[in-house]
Amino acid sequence: MAEPLPPGLDNERMAGALDRFRRIVGQEWVFAGERAASYYDPYTIANDPNAHKAHAAVAPASTEQVQELVKVANEHLVPLWTVSRGKNFAYGGAAPVLTGSVVLDLSRMNRIIEVNEQFGYALVEPGVSYFDLYKYIQDRGLKLWLDVPDPGWGSVMGNALDHGVGYTPYGDHFGMQCGMEVVLASGEVVRTGMGAMPGNNTWQLFKYGFGPYVDGMFSQSNFGVVTKMGIWLMREPPGFRPYLITFPREEDIEPVVEMVRSLRLNNVLQNAATIRSLVLDAALFSTKSQYYSGAGPIPDSVARQIMADQEIGMWNFCGALYGPPAITDVLWAATRDAFASIPGVRFYFPEDRKRRPDILIHRSDTMRGIPKLTEFGFLNWNGGGGHVGFSPVSPITGKDAIKQYRMVSGRVREAGFDYMGLMAVGFRELHHVTVIVYDQANPREREKLDQLFRLMVREAAAEGYGEYRTHIHYMDTIANTYSWNNHALLRMHQTIKDALDPNGILSPGKSGIWPKRLREAGKR
Amino acid sequence: MNHQVLRSGLVSALVALAIPATGAEMTGKEVFEHYCSACHGAADGPGTMQLARTRGKEQALLVERNNLTTDYIEFVVRHGLRSMPPFVPSDLTDARLQALAAFLAKSR
Repeated sequence: MAEPLPPGLDNERMAGALDRFRRIVGQEWVFAGERAASYYDPYTIANDPNAHKAHAAVAPASTEQVQELVKVANEHLVPLWTVSRGKNFAYGGAAPVLTGSVVLDLSRMNRIIEVNEQFGYALVEPGVSYFDLYKYIQDRGLKLWLDVPDPGWGSVMGNALDHGVGYTPYGDHFGMQCGMEVVLASGEVVRTGMGAMPGNNTWQLFKYGFGPYVDGMFSQSNFGVVTKMGIWLMREPPGFRPYLITFPREEDIEPVVEMVRSLRLNNVLQNAATIRSLVLDAALFSTKSQYYSGAGPIPDSVARQIMADQEIGMWNFCGALYGPPAITDVLWAATRDAFASIPGVRFYFPEDRKRRPDILIHRSDTMRGIPKLTEFGFLNWNGGGGHVGFSPVSPITGKDAIKQYRMVSGRVREAGFDYMGLMAVGFRELHHVTVIVYDQANPREREKLDQLFRLMVREAAAEGYGEYRTHIHYMDTIANTYSWNNHALLRMHQTIKDALDPNGILSPGKSGIWPKRLREAGKR
Repeated sequence: MNHQVLRSGLVSALVALAIPATGAEMTGKEVFEHYCSACHGAADGPGTMQLARTRGKEQALLVERNNLTTDYIEFVVRHGLRSMPPFVPSDLTDARLQALAAFLAKSR
């Protein structure tokens, strides 16, 4: 089957552009035809086989090559879909929103430019993965820790730009970003913050520079191609004490989250801790068929059996204490006392956990910044392979937590899936991330998932809950829920887009932002 | 960048190291360890667990399989299979994929 073309381009024009791309990056770094297959969304949701299908991919090795590529893309009106490493699989992987786009794959730009132990930061290119940066730090014995998301193969830069989260005190990845280099659609290179001053020595130390702070414009956006980014790294603490607190009932989420808010605002809770659901944790190291052979979600009796078998709760609060023992002892006492009144609560340190593999042993690594892929074990729960994240944000209140849990788990179970969710604790908000694992090879299941997802978005929006991040298939849908004052924010995004990228070549449709040229033709 | 390098001197670990250099040669074993082992290297890796579920424990660890062909490995790596996503050729290059396939198919 011929690779699809984007709106307004014919085969001849696209072929001409790809030839020009080859002259810039080298013949072997343009991938077309069957060679582009690795850039398709492996966990597709749409039943249209051409939806979100790339025409080709091009992989530059330097900022200069990116500059040359965007100039050619402007001449030929070729849409470029930028990915750092393309490993954002719960949200579409390397696949573009706009069918027929050419993926601008930055994997080869994988230089670790600087790791600074004195000040605790790294300056990296987009192709640097968490595994790469971790190995670099370990090989040199630097006293620095990463903050990692669950997929260790992801891009340090890409995850921060997509507002990803981790699990140490540095869990807000974009919050830890400091200084960028960006190629604009014109081909011009901009450095943000202090990087704009020649000879300045605080590019990775002070975010704001002088004048408007523009770095946020390049996150979850299509206003430029970020080619370098600074990220702050945590100093290795003098002590680390991970813990697991389990709660036996669904309704416990309400008092637990009330406690969590108090602990977080008082800085007793130091890290981006998570409250994880039973099936999410059970699915890492066991399969549904070990416990249940019926259709649909597991019944309560099976849930109880899993809890007893794996020594986990209906909710599992994974956190960690960082610092010298004199401090962590006090923080632990306050944490333990906060939850002690909840009936059936259990407290564990790693030495209390005898089963292998074990959730706390695994999460202990993650909460100290060791990159892994262990979390993908949940895909084995029912073997379907496909997964998508539904990720609304709420205040840290017990009332919101249980309301969200009931809304989402009710719909998920109604559709026949098990609820696999977690609530990640930010500075003032909860990210309620639910992964839905489905059989991507089954068109009916994809259709069911699609209907479920759209329903959950509508219902969440009606209650004031917005998603912080989404799959390429739902970017317009989510953008449309941020509609205050007749979509004023989206219209402002479009104005900026049209000013910076008048030909609309950079990632059309990203976060619902379409350039003027494709505003109608691009939307499905 | 030079100003930063000069300023940070000894505390700044290194400048402009590409990991891994995509043109560098790697043995099949090195490719496996770099790209595959996080899922397929240990008994509790998610890839190993999936294979145990779908093909039985004796077929779960890739390095112990004796029924893998180079064509099959290359196809799965480029296209993905069930939970496993594809690996793009800009990262896991064709040369590395060939080395990996030869390594995993060695016992045939």
